[in-house]
Amino acid sequence: MKRLLFFMAAVLSIFVLVACTANEDAGKDPDEKDKVEEPAGDDGESTDEGTSGEKVLKLNNATEPTSLDPSIGFDAVSWDPLNNLMEGLTRLDENHQAGPGVAEDWDISEDGKTYTFHLRENAKWSNGDPVVAEDFEFAWKYMLNPETASAAAFLGYFIEGAEAYNSGEGSADDVKVTAVDEKTLEVVLAQPTGFFLDVLTNPAFFPIHHKIAEENPNWHAEAETFVGNGPFKLESWEHNVEMVFSKNEHYWDAGVVKLDKVHFAMVNDTNTQYQMFESGDLDTASIPPELSDELIEDDNVFIGPYGGLEFYRFNTTIEPFQNKKIRQAFAYAVNREDIATYVVKNGVEPAYGFINPGYTSPTGSDFRDANGDLVTFDPEKAKQLLEEGMAEEGYDELPPITLTYNTSDTNKAVAEALQSMYQENLGIEVKLENQEWNVFSDAQKALELQFSRSSFINDYNDPVNFLESFITDSYMNRTGFSNPEYDELITKGKTETDEEKRWEYLYEAEKLLAEEMVAMPIRYYNTVVLEAEGVEGILRHPVGYFDLKFADKK
Amino acid sequence: MLKYIVKKLFIMVITLWIIITLTFVLMVSVPGSPFNSETNSNEIVQENLEKHYNLDKPYHIQYLLYLKSIITLDFGPSIKQPNQTVNDLLGRGFPISFELGIVTIIVAVISGIILGILAALRHNGIIDYLAMGIAVLGISIPNFILATLLIQKLAVDWEIFPVATWSSPLHMVLPVLALATGPMAIIARLTRSTMLEVLTQDYIKMARAKGLTPWKIIVKHALRNALMPVITIMGTLLAGILTGSFVIEQIFAIPGMGKYFVESINHRDYPVIMGTTVFYSAFLIIMLFLVDIAYGLLDPRMKVNKKEGE
Repeated sequence: MKRLLFFMAAVLSIFVLVACTANEDAGKDPDEKDKVEEPAGDDGESTDEGTSGEKVLKLNNATEPTSLDPSIGFDAVSWDPLNNLMEGLTRLDENHQAGPGVAEDWDISEDGKTYTFHLRENAKWSNGDPVVAEDFEFAWKYMLNPETASAAAFLGYFIEGAEAYNSGEGSADDVKVTAVDEKTLEVVLAQPTGFFLDVLTNPAFFPIHHKIAEENPNWHAEAETFVGNGPFKLESWEHNVEMVFSKNEHYWDAGVVKLDKVHFAMVNDTNTQYQMFESGDLDTASIPPELSDELIEDDNVFIGPYGGLEFYRFNTTIEPFQNKKIRQAFAYAVNREDIATYVVKNGVEPAYGFINPGYTSPTGSDFRDANGDLVTFDPEKAKQLLEEGMAEEGYDELPPITLTYNTSDTNKAVAEALQSMYQENLGIEVKLENQEWNVFSDAQKALELQFSRSSFINDYNDPVNFLESFITDSYMNRTGFSNPEYDELITKGKTETDEEKRWEYLYEAEKLLAEEMVAMPIRYYNTVVLEAEGVEGILRHPVGYFDLKFADKK
Repeated sequence: MLKYIVKKLFIMVITLWIIITLTFVLMVSVPGSPFNSETNSNEIVQENLEKHYNLDKPYHIQYLLYLKSIITLDFGPSIKQPNQTVNDLLGRGFPISFELGIVTIIVAVISGIILGILAALRHNGIIDYLAMGIAVLGISIPNFILATLLIQKLAVDWEIFPVATWSSPLHMVLPVLALATGPMAIIARLTRSTMLEVLTQDYIKMARAKGLTPWKIIVKHALRNALMPVITIMGTLLAGILTGSFVIEQIFAIPGMGKYFVESINHRDYPVIMGTTVFYSAFLIIMLFLVDIAYGLLDPRMKVNKKEGE
């Protein structure tokens, strides 16, 4: 027995040795070496933090950015880093309005079509070179080049000649973006566009150091070659592991930047990132859904609006939703307050209109307040509308209804809530069906789904962004809805030069959309973030991305 | 033997080709496109994207392009991460998954065998029940539950180990524990049952009669034979563990290649789907081949049979 124990102990110690040497061996591998050494360096830094007083913010980007090429990275995981590494002509300010960025000021012609931007003399790239107008011309034409295959290119169509070039019919020379001189950029738009300055805050319109990009088209793939012009520069980038930003001393407004470093981890598991926050490895985190009830009331929770809407699309080409009253009945039978409070939770707001709060009109009021509640919870009205609609169509019995959603826990919960509300308020048996995102998305575009879940995330800070989806034959329409009056209102809502009038058209458009009820709003999105003590000044814009320019860690 | 190996290699290449073709057929027959993101878009942009990634070409051309990419071992850029080639992704991810996998296998094999032997030697005793109790738990608790539990207790509550990420040997402990428990349990049960069988054999009695020390009997005579079934399952186990576990890598934020197996399909990232499939199948086929050879080398009976057969 003693010998056996000795044997076990020997095996165990051999195993421990083997395990350790396995690590060391791996460390000797040249590729692995950097990996092992770098974080060790980080540990060194974090101990320095206390002594040297370096301000280091530790954030989580969830995954590797799709791309740090501003024309290609068209999603949140690319926008958040890009918005802090680079800067466009305009930048969203503390009030979420487009303010001066690289452009110090600008002139807009009488007809609202020609914009002349004057670039700052002291706007510089992170390598010290000046940011010139040609960098913008280069970047925008690169984005619009059909061969670049930029997912963001459609945002550039406001510029004259852009759509033709991107669709392969026109040439780059016909795109009306011109570097007049080093510090002056002239842009001619296809139509007057009152919100063009807001559109420009999207990373798709960030400049590209044209000399570097011409030499090395892959300049954005690694930290060594990346050149930005934002408050931070990319110090290191270990793919799929971590990005480290450090303060960019060449930034024109470097004086206000308080943080020395920002670490972006890439942890894609909600529980893990929360546990890392708990143990101090992260300074901000999202709330795991199971802990929502417990944590949402805490003081360290930031809750803010996020530009987007969860809604359901009615397919007007499938019975019974060709009938407006039946669509309205389905919309009025939904208790959005309950869905927001008890189903989705996390502090979200129920949506009684399509446009989320947070868009300030030219008269200073909020779009949502000005246009009021367009759809409410009213079971009596819903029942009556259903009866009327069925009579109009001559139905004795409503055709079977299938509600389809893309597979996710939250979507399922919302769908089930809707199912029971229709049962209770309209006496209708709705069948639920879930599909994997890609299958679902294809079917919805092909108008194969009768009644389906949808979401919309804003690209820029204007109500027209959402409303435009429902014009005839729009790629985003996906309902079969077509109404010339609506199309007309949207055209005016995009091109009217008198801002107050333009907003009037948008109010009308939203009302018409609610009257037609081809889409049924459920709730607005929001941003919920846990912030560690001492973290302040992170600017979280309702549309798009956060800004660390003014952030601080005490 | 050489003839046997050549024949095996030929079959391996054919198998791989069949896998590639089937994967391609499945891939294009599943609805969806890599560009179905939640962000807004329009037709022109979608067309440009499809053209850029050759998805506008007819299927047979796409198939030939894939075959070409496989033969030249250059899978091109990932669609989800256009600045990275599939080779970059696998080249960075695989060594990490491999490192985690090797340590896991070592832990699982050694602790599994020890548990199995202990249980067999103290058959129907307390140690047996204890060891098999651990084994049953190990098999029945899914590793992601174990992982979450380990993080909560050992990392968050007691602060012994870091929560996640992959930067030091200390970061390895929790994922290795979570990943090794299942295979360990399987190996322990296998070892126990074969050990029990072997221990009743005549040659063990013989060895005992000769007066050999107990541990000599176990290590030299019993264990060698008891290990055969363990080697049999090693091929599949190795290929599975060494190429990364999606769930464990996700929970511990380990930048291995496990996630590409799942995410590439969710994103319809065709080049990555092809790259991971080819990589995994080639790896699995080679592992099974090695196990075949190891079998012949380790089991004297097999060797004799083969000689007789030839």
